[in-house]
Amino acid sequence: MKSGVLRDRSGALLLVLPVIVFLAVFFLWPLWTMVTAAFVDDAVSKVLPRTASSIVSWDGQGVPSQATRKALVQDLSAASEEQALGEAVRRLNSAASGFRTLLGRTIPAVKAAPDPAQVDLAAVDPRWNDTRFWVALKEAMPPYTDRNILAALDLKRDASGIIVAEAADVSAHRLIMLRTLMVAAMVTVACAVIGFPYAMLAASLTGWKRSVLLLAVVLPLWTSLLVRTAAWFILLQNEGLINRALQAIGLIDSPLPLIFNRLGVVIAMTHVLLPFMVLPIYSVILGIPRNLMSAAQSMGAGPIRAFWRVLLPLSLPGLLSGSLLVFMVAIGYYITPALLGGANDQMISSVIAFYATGTANWGLAGALGLILLVVTTVLYAIYGRFSTSQQVPGA
Amino acid sequence: MFRALQATFGIAVVVFLLMPIFAILPLAFTSSVFLNYPIPAYSMRWMHELTTAEVWRTSILNSLIIGSGATVLATVLGTLASLGMRRGALPMAGLLRTMFLLPMVVPAVVLGVGMQIFLVRLGLASTYLGVIIAHAVLCIPFVIVSVSAALQGIDPTIERAASSLGARPVTVFRRVTLPLAIPGVVSGAIFAFATSLDEVVLTLFVAGPNQRTLARQMFSSIRENISPTVAAAALLLIVGTLCLGGLGALLRWRQGRKTAAAAA
Amino acid sequence: MRPFIQFESVSKAFGSVTVVNALDLAIEKGEFVSLLGPSGSGKTTILMMLAGFERPTQGAIYLDGKRIDHLPPYRRQMGVVFQNYALFPHMTVAENVAFPLEMQRVPRAEIARRVERALDMVKLKPLKDRRPSQLSGGQQQRIALTRALVFEPSVILMDEPLGALDKQLREHMQLEIRELHKRLGLTIVFVTHDQSEALTMSDRIAVFNAGRIEQIDNPQVIYDTPRTRFVAEFIGETNLIEAKIASVDNQVARLSLGAGLSARAHAAGGLSAGQTASFSLRPERIRLGMAPEGSNALDMTITDCIYHGDHMRVQLARDDFSLVARCERLAGHWTVGAPVVASFDPRDCTVLAQ
Repeated sequence: MKSGVLRDRSGALLLVLPVIVFLAVFFLWPLWTMVTAAFVDDAVSKVLPRTASSIVSWDGQGVPSQATRKALVQDLSAASEEQALGEAVRRLNSAASGFRTLLGRTIPAVKAAPDPAQVDLAAVDPRWNDTRFWVALKEAMPPYTDRNILAALDLKRDASGIIVAEAADVSAHRLIMLRTLMVAAMVTVACAVIGFPYAMLAASLTGWKRSVLLLAVVLPLWTSLLVRTAAWFILLQNEGLINRALQAIGLIDSPLPLIFNRLGVVIAMTHVLLPFMVLPIYSVILGIPRNLMSAAQSMGAGPIRAFWRVLLPLSLPGLLSGSLLVFMVAIGYYITPALLGGANDQMISSVIAFYATGTANWGLAGALGLILLVVTTVLYAIYGRFSTSQQVPGA
Repeated sequence: MFRALQATFGIAVVVFLLMPIFAILPLAFTSSVFLNYPIPAYSMRWMHELTTAEVWRTSILNSLIIGSGATVLATVLGTLASLGMRRGALPMAGLLRTMFLLPMVVPAVVLGVGMQIFLVRLGLASTYLGVIIAHAVLCIPFVIVSVSAALQGIDPTIERAASSLGARPVTVFRRVTLPLAIPGVVSGAIFAFATSLDEVVLTLFVAGPNQRTLARQMFSSIRENISPTVAAAALLLIVGTLCLGGLGALLRWRQGRKTAAAAA
Repeated sequence: MRPFIQFESVSKAFGSVTVVNALDLAIEKGEFVSLLGPSGSGKTTILMMLAGFERPTQGAIYLDGKRIDHLPPYRRQMGVVFQNYALFPHMTVAENVAFPLEMQRVPRAEIARRVERALDMVKLKPLKDRRPSQLSGGQQQRIALTRALVFEPSVILMDEPLGALDKQLREHMQLEIRELHKRLGLTIVFVTHDQSEALTMSDRIAVFNAGRIEQIDNPQVIYDTPRTRFVAEFIGETNLIEAKIASVDNQVARLSLGAGLSARAHAAGGLSAGQTASFSLRPERIRLGMAPEGSNALDMTITDCIYHGDHMRVQLARDDFSLVARCERLAGHWTVGAPVVASFDPRDCTVLAQ
């Protein structure tokens, strides 16, 4: 008996193991890599290990000791990896502008010197007498940093290490996060307002009418997201079908601005996410015994009261899980805002993509990604608790 | 009055849901250079463009290569996992299930950032294998959901019956469990292929110019210089999806016939 | 020489819950034995252990002298008919029936012949190319039975095989299975919770309660002389009488029933005067009349009279002592409130183990 259980268990484990390994390596590990990218800051200390250990004792006044300066020269002459050195330079330059040219002059001089120990930094470039560069060097040494996560929240540390708000014109991450939540909330409300009565209607109908209503929900799900986005592009543009139709019936004189603005994003996202609202509500309503409404009416409740007191409370779980699902998916949306939104409609995903692919600022991309990941995970956990069904509807 | 209101609402939402899909298709055959109505004349020029222009042709080919690779990988891994989780013999089955479904939930951009850094380190960035792996991660949940549902629909006493009638475990699996689970595996694979076909965000992060897929190409085309080729590509995708669905139905039917023939 | 099937102090526990407790059971070749009991009494677990789907926690199971409890189901050669038939939905009727023969590597031509013959026997040959889902419940049941019989297993196990059928069909199938049992000389172990099914079909009935056999005997003995209170109540309807024994004399006990009534009952050994015991008296063994008959005659009053079509149930009482009698519809005209004399044979009043 016992061995039977063990055999079953090890057999099952053997079958599940490949996916566990695959997802651990190619899903969890990349996520972890992204999280560490936000906090790890070892570009400089990796290239300049001796300087790193020596500069710790410097008090930040004037210029570091002779030993520290020697360590730096030694590190620079030993640094051989082009790419790592380049990353270190980029990191230092972002902390103190001018560092790139400073090192651009120093490194060849050090490498060219017959005996690096004899090189006097101040003689190579007088800027080595400037405390500013040494401070930047010292601050770049700790291998971990909260700089990125602070920057993601529009915060920074001032000279004395106290966390302060970033100047409003420098960074607008909070504004974008707020906008992301706003857009997601608008889409969720729109989906709920359309989806709830629609699901009720579908559940109350029978035969081909119900089939048509459900097909209309499922068909878009089966259609490529890009096809749908391109289709909205066609419909919403100034010369698009909607504007033409409105003009033709004389409702408007000049085209309404429907695309490259918030309205276009919300319309298209509502279209894309509506099925995620309708399907959970529909399945919950279908599970409500029909005779409950009859029972309520037999006890003297009119149709509206019966709806209000019986059907609505019972279908609320569907509405709740649908809303959570829509909101959760909406906050991570990238394609639709990128194609149909204007500059002021970009959501957090676009910003992350910008830092990652545009400026190769992995740290900031990672920090913003971490925030989005945490919010999504929390919403998913809540969704898992509330949703009655075990399955997440397929996209 | 109320009924009329209901009908109006229902029709309006159905139109809202379906209009975009039907609006884009005729534009695949426009003769105009604008992706817009009215259509001055019908022409095959954009279909021709789609199948002959280098960027579009390679992107279609890439989509097929990457889609097939990701589908095979995800279907094999996902089916094995579903079989393993079936009997509930595993400890922490709930946690595992959550982990398996998580790729469906994590925002694609977040996964994309992590994947990009990670694949660069492995030397898999901008390779077919890298893109296939990235897509497979997204496809696995769909396979698991689909196959698990099919397995759940199999009455375990049917397998007991086979066993009592003299079938060894391997035979029970081959003759009873697998034929009954095949529809789920097939629809899981179709879901996987459709997911890969439609994937843009991860592809943006991990693919190089050589692995540009059809969806990726459509994305940049809409963004940079929109032309009716996008509508032609959309038509191709929709027809492709329909064919895939038809193929799935056919396979299921054939599979049913085949197991029947083998047993007779 | 061991019996054909033998359970030797078999126990089965799921975790900390013991479902079968030190069971001994012997079944002879050619016997039709029913395992009867309420749900949760362990009868299905016993069947599943015999079929090989569950392993005993303790004890041994023998078939034809060989120990089998370590064998997997596919090596046991037992035909199992499941509650919901468990027909393979992706195979036709003929393929379902051919399956066990294929597993035994019977040559193709012979498979075809035997499937034909088997389907002919249950008159379902015309349906051989249908899928199970296209058959009625009764037809599915017959296919499941055919599939279990076709490979000539040494034992047929049936797990509530008729539970899903409607009453008429169920009674018809009961006769059909009985007829097959006789004709083919099959050994059948039949699990059911329907007592009338067990009474009509079995050579012997084992009545289960909470993982133990309460009584195992032929149907008549089980019905007429239930050994325990559980058996008496589970099978048929009975009057349970708690009585004080006034005296025991020559296997006849005098009972004082309360309300000033007394009666005689057949006393098995072990009863002594002064003791309190439970007795079972089947309602149909009570005769109602205006005058006393035989050695037991109780003066009582009719409190209710319920019409049941083929019989009447008459409630009798005297103070706090009450009885139910079952009598012929035409046996008399009984009015509620009328006095009546209830008579019964002492042999029909059987003592129950505590």
